[in-house]
Amino acid sequence: MSNQSIKNNDENLREYLKQLLESGLETKKEPRAYEHQQVLEIIAQLQKISPDDYKNKLIIAGFTLSPYHPADDPDDEQACETCMYFQVHRKYCELPELMLPVEPEWSCRLWRI
Amino acid sequence: MANLLWLQGGACSGNTMSFLNAEEPSACDLVTDFGINILWQPSLGMELGDGVQQILKDCISGATKLDIFVFEGSVVNAPNGTGEWNRFAGRPMKDWVRELSAAADIVVALGDCATWGGIPATAPNPTDSQGLQFLKRDNGGFLGTDFKAKSGLPVINIPGCPAHPDWVTQILVAVATGRAGDLALDEFQRPKTFFQSFTQTGCTRNMHFAYKVSATEFGQRKGCLFYDLGCRGPMTHSPCNRILWNRVSSKTRAGMPCLGCTEPEFPFFDLAPGTVFKTQTVMGVPKDLPEGVNKKGYVKLTGAAKAAMPEWAEEDIFVV
Repeated sequence: MSNQSIKNNDENLREYLKQLLESGLETKKEPRAYEHQQVLEIIAQLQKISPDDYKNKLIIAGFTLSPYHPADDPDDEQACETCMYFQVHRKYCELPELMLPVEPEWSCRLWRI
Repeated sequence: MANLLWLQGGACSGNTMSFLNAEEPSACDLVTDFGINILWQPSLGMELGDGVQQILKDCISGATKLDIFVFEGSVVNAPNGTGEWNRFAGRPMKDWVRELSAAADIVVALGDCATWGGIPATAPNPTDSQGLQFLKRDNGGFLGTDFKAKSGLPVINIPGCPAHPDWVTQILVAVATGRAGDLALDEFQRPKTFFQSFTQTGCTRNMHFAYKVSATEFGQRKGCLFYDLGCRGPMTHSPCNRILWNRVSSKTRAGMPCLGCTEPEFPFFDLAPGTVFKTQTVMGVPKDLPEGVNKKGYVKLTGAAKAAMPEWAEEDIFVV
């Protein structure tokens, strides 16, 4: 697949995901995966669904359209753009179980820096 | 001529195997070029039974001068402090170790088990193992805090699981040629010449570390292994990326995370499930940050690095 095709696919899919979230899709944004066991549990759920089941990926990972601010530390900001799995130039989450085009200001509960 | 005696306690022989692979200098060079006389070594010694026992007794009595005593493996104290679980040449190994250490000019602890207790001393430490002069981070170990060999030096610790062969032979050459006094040791009695810098020093993934690009699978050629795969390179003191393994590579260069095996806490987190090859985080931030970096600084740096990241940093630049 050419770079242009990848880019087009990413843009289309990103737009689709955005529409899902804007339409009020209820995602599991909490509890955050702050403990290793929680990470494993969420990853295990993601591994059970089809790679193109985008809606459930958003739900299980707890995606939101804006950064997450923990209640106990409001200055802390968890956004895709600072996450280790975020590819800056492609605007893409490369966590193997997600592999989704995202926006920098989005967030999910698997965020890690 | 410097007489060297080498014994193994609670060990897997990994450091002996490593030593036999040394190249600069080689184990043979030690004998032919640097005047080291190997009195006995588990894989090289020809003597058996009474013959070995006599060598050890002669070293202790002074009939044979013991210049360098190398100990590999942990000192096993179980059961009930007797050391009977690790007998050698007719008595508990720990009794030989105490007497030989007192007789030697220089004592070298080789590998993690001899230096800090290593894997045998991992909780619950069923063999009641200790390192020669440390138990994990605590100074003391089997010989005690105040121990000094006849030269006046404490135990020289060469950690690693195993130690790189050249660390061993180069230290032995320094000692055998009368330059032991020139060795600067760090707080854990490791020669600074090897253990002042970090495993990360010289890592080919440093640009990925700088721009916060994460590797997500073993063997991946792009990305840093610190962020997700548990690499301890930024916190571990070793020259693994300066003095390469087999002269060609290192774990991180090959896409495998550093396990921090030259540090006293190795194996980290007592090998609890999910702690190996996975970066441990607290609220999404690595539990162990690069040495000297605090959480706030780390978060700021990550934001800036990601913002400045050039496109090539996200691509595989090691093209075959």
